[in-house]
Parts: sequence; structure tokens; C-alpha cells
Amino acid sequence: MTAWLVRRVAASVAIVFVVVTLTFILMDLAPGKPMLGPTERLADPEAEAELRRQFGLDGPLGVRYVSYLRQLARGNLGASFGLRRPVADALAEAIPNTLLLAGAALLIDFLIGLGLGVYQALRVHRLPDVALGNVTLFLYSVPTFWLGLILLLVFGAWLRWFPVGGMSDPVLCPTVSSFYCTMDRLWHLALPALTLGIVGAAGTARFQRAAMLEVAGQDYVRTARAKGASERRVVLRHQLRNALLSFITLFGLAFPFLLTGAVLIETIFAWPGMGRLATDAILRRDFPVVNAAVLLASTLVVTGSLLADVLLAVADPRLRVRDLA
Amino acid sequence: MTLQAWFALLAALALAAWAVGALRRRTARHEAGRRFFRHPTAAWGIGILAFFAIVAVAAPLVTSFDPRQQLDIVRLKNQPPSWSYILGTDLYSRDLWTRVAYGARISLMVGALGMLVAVTLGTLVGAVAGYYRRWVDAVLMRGVDVGLALPRIFVLLIAIALFGRLPLALLVLVIGFTSWFGTSRLVRAEVLSVRERDFVAAARAVGAGAARVIFRHVLPNAAAPIIVSAALGIGNVLLLEAALSFLGIGVPPPAPSWGNMIADGAPYLATAPWTTLFPGLAIALVVMALNAVGDALRDALDPRQEAM
Amino acid sequence: MLSAMLRLRRLVLVVAALGLASCQRSPGCTGEYCGTLVFAAVGEPDILLPPSTQEAVSRDIEEQLFLKLADIGLSTNTVGDEDFQPILAERWEWDGPLTLVFHLDSRARWQDGQPVTASDVAFTFDAYTDSAVASPYRAALRRIASVKARDPETAVFRFRERYPEMFYDAVYHMRVLPGHLLRGVPRDQWKTAPFGRQPVGNGPYRFVAWKAGQTIELVADSTFFLGRPGIRHLIWRFTPDIVVAATQLVADQADGREQLVTPDNIARARAAPQLTIYPYRGATYGYLGFNLAANGDTMQPHPIFGDREVRRALTMAVDRARLLKSVFGDFAQVPPGPMSQLWWIWDPELRQLPYDTVQAGRLLSARGWRDSDHDGIRDRGGQPLSFRVLVTSTSAIRRQYARLLQEQFRLVGVQMDIDEVEASVVSERAAAGKFDAVMLAWNTDPTPSSGVPQVWTRGGFGRSNYLRYDNPAFDRLVDRATAAATRDQARAAWRAAVETISADAPGIFLFATDNVAAFHNRVADVRIRPDSWAALLRTWRIPPDRLIDRDRVER
Repeated sequence: MTAWLVRRVAASVAIVFVVVTLTFILMDLAPGKPMLGPTERLADPEAEAELRRQFGLDGPLGVRYVSYLRQLARGNLGASFGLRRPVADALAEAIPNTLLLAGAALLIDFLIGLGLGVYQALRVHRLPDVALGNVTLFLYSVPTFWLGLILLLVFGAWLRWFPVGGMSDPVLCPTVSSFYCTMDRLWHLALPALTLGIVGAAGTARFQRAAMLEVAGQDYVRTARAKGASERRVVLRHQLRNALLSFITLFGLAFPFLLTGAVLIETIFAWPGMGRLATDAILRRDFPVVNAAVLLASTLVVTGSLLADVLLAVADPRLRVRDLA
Repeated sequence: MTLQAWFALLAALALAAWAVGALRRRTARHEAGRRFFRHPTAAWGIGILAFFAIVAVAAPLVTSFDPRQQLDIVRLKNQPPSWSYILGTDLYSRDLWTRVAYGARISLMVGALGMLVAVTLGTLVGAVAGYYRRWVDAVLMRGVDVGLALPRIFVLLIAIALFGRLPLALLVLVIGFTSWFGTSRLVRAEVLSVRERDFVAAARAVGAGAARVIFRHVLPNAAAPIIVSAALGIGNVLLLEAALSFLGIGVPPPAPSWGNMIADGAPYLATAPWTTLFPGLAIALVVMALNAVGDALRDALDPRQEAM
Repeated sequence: MLSAMLRLRRLVLVVAALGLASCQRSPGCTGEYCGTLVFAAVGEPDILLPPSTQEAVSRDIEEQLFLKLADIGLSTNTVGDEDFQPILAERWEWDGPLTLVFHLDSRARWQDGQPVTASDVAFTFDAYTDSAVASPYRAALRRIASVKARDPETAVFRFRERYPEMFYDAVYHMRVLPGHLLRGVPRDQWKTAPFGRQPVGNGPYRFVAWKAGQTIELVADSTFFLGRPGIRHLIWRFTPDIVVAATQLVADQADGREQLVTPDNIARARAAPQLTIYPYRGATYGYLGFNLAANGDTMQPHPIFGDREVRRALTMAVDRARLLKSVFGDFAQVPPGPMSQLWWIWDPELRQLPYDTVQAGRLLSARGWRDSDHDGIRDRGGQPLSFRVLVTSTSAIRRQYARLLQEQFRLVGVQMDIDEVEASVVSERAAAGKFDAVMLAWNTDPTPSSGVPQVWTRGGFGRSNYLRYDNPAFDRLVDRATAAATRDQARAAWRAAVETISADAPGIFLFATDNVAAFHNRVADVRIRPDSWAALLRTWRIPPDRLIDRDRVER
């Protein structure tokens, strides 16, 4: 087990390294000058050249790559010329926002998805199952950002049940009371998290339903039923627990997707998270931010998949390590 | 809309319904076919896909305008649905139903071709990795991990940044190149399990080459998950194209694609919601149909269900 | 089961009560100097250090934090010094033709208590013109030779030459910086200086907080020497695009926005009962520029656009008024040349090419462009009359125009393909001359003297004259206009220059915007100076009888 773990961690580190190098090279090859100011204002070419020099954007690719690695080794992520501040600061402020959104979305995804999937499996082929099945099918098939736009319009602009974007009320939040502020933040979080979560929940529900039905047909469950165990017991002890294992794998794969799926939602709901930060940076050719974001995202992905594999191996002793490799 | 267009539209609907019925009858003799149509959504799925395919092919017949024609940029922009323009008009006073119909061509084509590229690549890589195992497998699968490690949106943004404005062909290729990783894992798993079976050992004993063994013996038995993943893959590509267009880097104008129609209409959602609603619904319907068909296919082609 | 329901309901009620109880309705602020205004801003400032940024939101906020020596008046006249308002300088005089002496107001203070002195002014000039700071404003200050502090309250500006807008250059570009706080910051680190995220200024408002990606908050300085600001709190709320900003505004989650841009947003704001619309002259003009040099080779003329008659024909083929109506509704005008409505030379009656597709077709045919293969596209010697236009994907207006133009050209047998790319790519390709045509827009300063030469004369080669337009007659007229001693002479020269360039048609001049602002109707005394909408914010107020909840909050 330990040997396998060590090998996997080493491989993960190598993967991240390759990804970061690839990104560095690709961003450099991409056409487009790094944007140092708004394009509709007259610019001074000498000033821009000087700024480029100061930000280290000049010079051959190899030299810049080496100095970037050295900088990274010292823990310095560089300075963003679009945001005019150290990249680490910008990321440090953006990441918690994305984690909040992704976490809330995942919670909704898990709770609703699992619940729905189990409920559907218990009422399989009857009306609730069929109706819910169609609803989840629809939600699973819509473009997430389209759903977000419509929800924002209907519930934010027309019905005014939810705020139109942002993380909190800029006037009342910090001042009135911290309880009010917490409620206010939850209120702002609701719509974007619901948008992300519901689409995810639809997928999870379908997956969970299928997993539970698959387990239901297996011998040991039929045996338990034949032996007279109550339906509830059968579900809880056997179907749910085994289906849960497949869910862990799904979780490991879902988390990084939430981070990136959140990109469009963050834009629509004016949520200052990492996805929006990285996308803006790519469009503006803000290399330091892009490299740091990719580094972070790929680290999270490989960690997530590693964690999922470890959890799976721990939870189900039947799965031998070799099969996971 | 002209009378001819109305007739053609009704004919398309009728044709789609007939196609479903015909398919059902043709496959009633096979166990798989019967299993497929046991799902009520499967029939609807086939019907919807057939309808959109017919509309895409016969777009000039079912519409009465040119998709690029700007009818009256001052008086007819962003008009709500009416008898003359059944789905309304967009910001450039172009008829929306016409653009949805012609958009079906591009969106479906991007979806199908993108999926084709993705599935082909994924199958090849997965088959080779599963068949040869050991270091070939290790290297290829690490490559897949690298591909999965990079968030897809970033990869696409960077790829598109690299090439500036992507012509349609290149866009399809790029989407395909970033979508094959999941399929390769799936195929590899199937190949790994099939390769130990007797008939494969027999083929190899007789001296068949690796390629022959893979293509004639291993893959056909692993076909089921490939087909299912293909059906679902088109849906994913459609959604991806929509997301890219929303970010401003999808199918170039003025060619209509459902994705770039949503992107065009998004700023006017509050005052002209139909411009975003209808292309979005089109995507949702097609992806729903694909998912339903994919699920039913998975059920139908799954050999483990034989016993039931 | 029933008891469980009851317990749940009681829990909900308790939580709600707690929640309401915490929403203390404190008596809060009452009287003349209350008020909180939330502005829905598009984008976010990069840094709040005046010499280091030209970003629009940064400039709006800097307007409240840092003062200039003097500021232009509501007429936005930039010639001479009569129309300027004293700010940091309470009076000034000319000590010879090239020397300008400012006497600072002794009441001016930095927000840490230190007085604003002439050495701050000298330090400011030194920083703005230091190449290590790499300020985009440096070029505008090139005709000022030096700024020295004669004594703590007297700053002396010495110019290199005499020209009509000397005073404007002396006061408009620079915001006075605190020498005692910035002297220790190495000049090459100004671009990312922490001071820029926590500025200390001398203006009517004081910096409070910057929540990255969300808001910036300012509070009024009640001891401001030019009068206490009427509105106590100003909050800028950042949104990713104009649609979200407009939606927030209409949903009463923001109090105002300085520019609604599209007729759609304007209609929504009009329909909102709590908003009042304020149109004012815009500072932007946009055009479809033709590359007069070959795509990728500046030594050769462009095969299509090198021909003046072809350019004129293309301009005549476009119904600019109709396109304007479709894109902007009533809130823009077609400019006769490269000018914005903000400029004092603005005159829509100047001679321009008419909309005449018949004449356009005839001209094109006369120059050899005929549709010989009947494919709908004209051609000459085997080459089709087809080109690609670069459009910034983030500008909805320019994208819309590009598509409308595409159709207009198609009707006269010209094929235009659209390349919607990111701004960074447009920037790079335009500067390198690697394009056929490009949709450009400029946000101008109040005077044509800075905008026109850099973009349209030979002196702009390598700078912002991407089209490589080079007409010596035009250059002479511009020189005459910028050096003219009186406004009438200048006006005559500018008129001639604009008519010259309009006849040459290096581009199709499409729009000069009207800005339409919308603010909550409880705000009184809304005064908007067209070149900088936030310049007079400190004179706005909310009458005590119109205060609403968010105005009363004590922060």
C-alpha cells in the first residue's frame, strides 16, 4: 500500500510539473500583447515597453522559464500586471470565494442528488420515478450558464427574491450585525450555488439511481430480502452502502469540475472567484496569474483523484490496489 | 412564415414520428431493440433527434428567410414572436426560427464531428493501452491523467488563444482533442477485461497481429460502452460549444450556431428573452434526447442484462 | 408527527425573530450630510495611484481622493485659463511668456494631517515624467520643462514653448501626490505599490476599504477645505459587464451608473420608477479603420484600401445614420470625422460623404472592381473585393456594428469577414499592421490637440496611427490648429482638417456617443462634467427628507 501511495504521489507531482510547463509555453506562444491598460485610451509605447521590461515580459522563452521556476521554488508566484499586485494576494482572496461557492454547490448536489436517486430507486418505474427522471434529464441537459442567466433574470430581476449578483450587500453587511451579514451572504450565495448544484444534483441522482438498481439486482441483496429482512434494512445496509462507494469516485471527479464549471457562473453572478480571475487573465494574457491558476487547479485535480482512490481502497477492501493504477 | 414552410415543418414532424415507428418495428425482432424501446424516453429521444436532423438537412424548406438577412435593423430588431416571425427576431433583425434551423446544421455537425474525433482518439489510445499493458499502458495513462488534470475550460481558452480566431474545422478538432480522455479510460477497462477471454487467446495463438486482434476481436466486444459514450459525447460537445461561444470564442459570425445565438442574446435577456430562450431550449432538447438514447442504449447493449 | 411539525415551526420563528432583532434600526444619520451612494461599476480598478493607470474606474475614484491644481469648468474649454476653477491652487499668474506661477491654498491638507506644499507639486511632476514610473501621461507633459517649489506655497512651471493650451497641460494631467509618503518608494515599484491599494489623498473623500473583486468604499472628509461633501459614503460595486450592472441598477441594488451604453439598458432605466436619466456629451468616437498599408507589410500600399476612391465608395455604401439608430437609438450622433462630442470643435454639420449606394457602385466599377464571375462579390484581376476586419470581442457595440456593416457591404458586392478576437490580439495586430480593417474606438481627453496628432498624423506612426494615414496637408492643418493663437483661428484650421480627412476616408466614422447616466431620483444637485462624470460628486447631496435606509447607516 505504501509503495503504491509513494508511486502515485510521485506521478502526481510529475503530472503537475508537466502541466505547468505546457501552460507556460502555450501562453507564451499565444498571439496577443499583454494588456497593460485600456485600449481605448491613447498609450505611450515607450512607457509600455518600460513596463514590459519591469514585469519581466521581455527576453527569450528559456530564460524566462528558468527564472519562473526559480521564483516558484522560493514560493513566489510573481506579480500580476493586470491586477498590479502579487499573484499570491489575488489568489488568496479569490480562492475562498470559489471554495465557498463550489462547496455549497457540492453540498446541494450531494444532498439533493443522493436523496433523489435513492427515492427514485425505491419507487422504480412508478410515476414519481418517471416524473423525476424526466426532470433530472432536462436539468442535466441544459447549459449551466443558460440556466444561470434565466434564474438570475426571473428570481433576481423580476421577482426580486434573490439579489442580482455579488457576494454581499455593500452597504448594510458589515455594519448592521454579523448575524445579518451571514444571512445576507447566504442569500447572495443561494442562486449561484443552486444553479451549479441543481445541474450536478440531476447528474448525481441519475447516477445514484442506476448504481442502486444495479446493486439491487445482485445476489446478496436478493438473499437478504428472501431471508425476510425489511425493505428499509435492505436499502440502508446493502444498497446504500455499496452505492456510496461509487459515489466517492464521483466526488473525486466532481470537485475539480465544479471549480471550472464555476467559471461561467462566477461571471454571470459577479462572484469574485478563481474561475473568473483565471479566465480574465487568459483573455488579458496576464501570464503570472494564468500560470498560478493552472498550477493550483491541476494540483487540486490530482489531489482529488488521489484522495478518491485512497478513500475507495480504504472503504472497500475488495478493491485491490493494482486495479486502481 | 410562408405556407410552404409551415407545410414543410409539419411534414418534418410527421417524418420524424414515422422514423421512430419504423425503427421500433425493425428492431422488434431483436432482444436489444425491445430493451431499447422499453424506455419511454428512448422513443421521444429518437423522435427529437430525427426531427432536428431533418430540420437541419431541409433547413431552406422549413424556413422562409435567409439566416444572414437583416430584415429591418431599426424597426424589426428584437421583436417578440409573432405570426410572421414565429420565434421572433434577434438584435440584427434576423428571423430567429431560421437561425435555429440553420444553427442546427452547425451545432449538430460540430457535435457529431467533435465526438467522432474524441471517440476515435479515445478508443485508439484506450485500446492500445489496454492491449499492450505494462509501460505502454503506464505512459499513455499518465498522459491521460495530464489531460484530465488541466481544467477543460482553461485548455480550450489557451488553445484558442494560441490560434487566434478558430475556423470551424479547427474548432471541432480542438474540442475533440480535449474530450477523449474519459473514453480512453472506459475503453481501456473494457479491453483489459476482454483480452483475457478465450477467443482472443485463440486468435493470438493462431498468429494474428496486434492490430487485427484489437480491431476484429477485442473492440467489437467492447463496442457497447464506446457507442454509449459516443451518444453522450455529442451532448457534451454541444454544451461545450455553447460555453465557448458565451465566452466569445466559439463558432465565428455570422454563421449561426445555437451557442453563439445564446451569447448574442444574453445581454438582452431582460427585454428580449426569446433570443436566448429558444436556442437554449434547442440545445436542452437535443442533449436530453441524446442522454435518453444513450441511457437506453446502455441498457440495451449491456450483455449482463441478458439473464433478466 | 404533528409535534415534530410544531417544533420545527417554532424553531423557524425563533430564528427569524433573532434575525430581525439583530437588524437594529439604529437612529442612524440624519440631516444634511448623510447619504450612501452605491455605483454599479463595470470592471475594477487596477491600482489607485494616479500616474500608473488610465483605467476608467480608477480615474473616477482618484477624482475623489486626489486633487489637481485647477480643473476645467463645465464648458470643458481647454484653451487659455479663464474657464478653469481653482482647486489646490487658489490663484495663479504668468511670469513671462513661458513661466506659470501657482499659489497654493494654505488650507489644503493630506488626510494624515500634513499640509499640501509646493514640494509635493514638484515631486509629482518629477514622478509623472520619470521613465521608471512609465506613466502613460508622460507624453502629455513633454512641453513642460520643469516644476520647482519657490517656497512652500508657490510652485513655478517652466515651459519649453508657447502654445494655447499651456495651462491645460499644466493642470489637467497631474494629480498632486504626497511626497512625504511616496518619496521612499522606488520608482520602478510604483506600478505595484501597496500605496495604490491603500491610498492617502487630499481630496473631498477618504479611502476606507477595498474588497477585492467586490467593492471600494470612500467616506467624506468633513473638514475638506472647499466645502463638506453632501454625500457621506460612496461605494463602487464591481460587476463583470454592463448588463449585470444595469440589472442591479434597475433592481434598486445600486444607486447609479454613469453610462448605460445600449438603448435597451436606457429603456429599462427609464422604466424604473426610482431612477432619473441624465444624458451628457460623450467622450468616445468609433470608426471602421482601413489599413492604408498592406496587411503585414508597411512599405507597400494596401491592394484594396490604398485607393482613395475605393475608400470613399465604401464609405458611401454605408447608411451610417440608420446603423446608428439601430445600435444606439437616439443617444449618439454620426461624427463628420475623428471627433467626439466632448470636443469644442464638435460640429455635425461639417461636410461629409453622403449615403449613396448607386454612386458607390459606380465608383467601384470605375476603379475596376466588377463582379465578373457573378458570385455576388466584385473582383478585379482575379482578386475578390474581400477583406477581414478585426473586432474586439469584448465590445458589444463594435461587434454589433461589424455585423451590420457586413450586411451593408454585401449589398454592394463587397465581402467583409469578421475576426472577433480578444483585445490583446487586436492591440498586437493593429500595432504591427497585420490587418486589413479594424473596428476602433477612442476615449478622448477634452481637447483634440492630444488625440488627433497621435492617431491621424505622420507623427503617430509607431504610436497610435495604426492605419498609416499620411496626408501632409492634413498634418499642416493640425499643426496650425494646435498652435493657433485664438480660438477662431484654431476653429477654422480644425474645420479644414476634419473636412480633409473626411474626404480622404481613411476609415468610416461611425459614432460619437452620448453618455446616458442614471441616478436614483433622491439625489439632488446632480452635476455631471462631460469629461469626468465623477468630478463634481462632492457637490451632490441628498435632502434630509429623502433619506432612505441605506443613507442612514452609520459606518
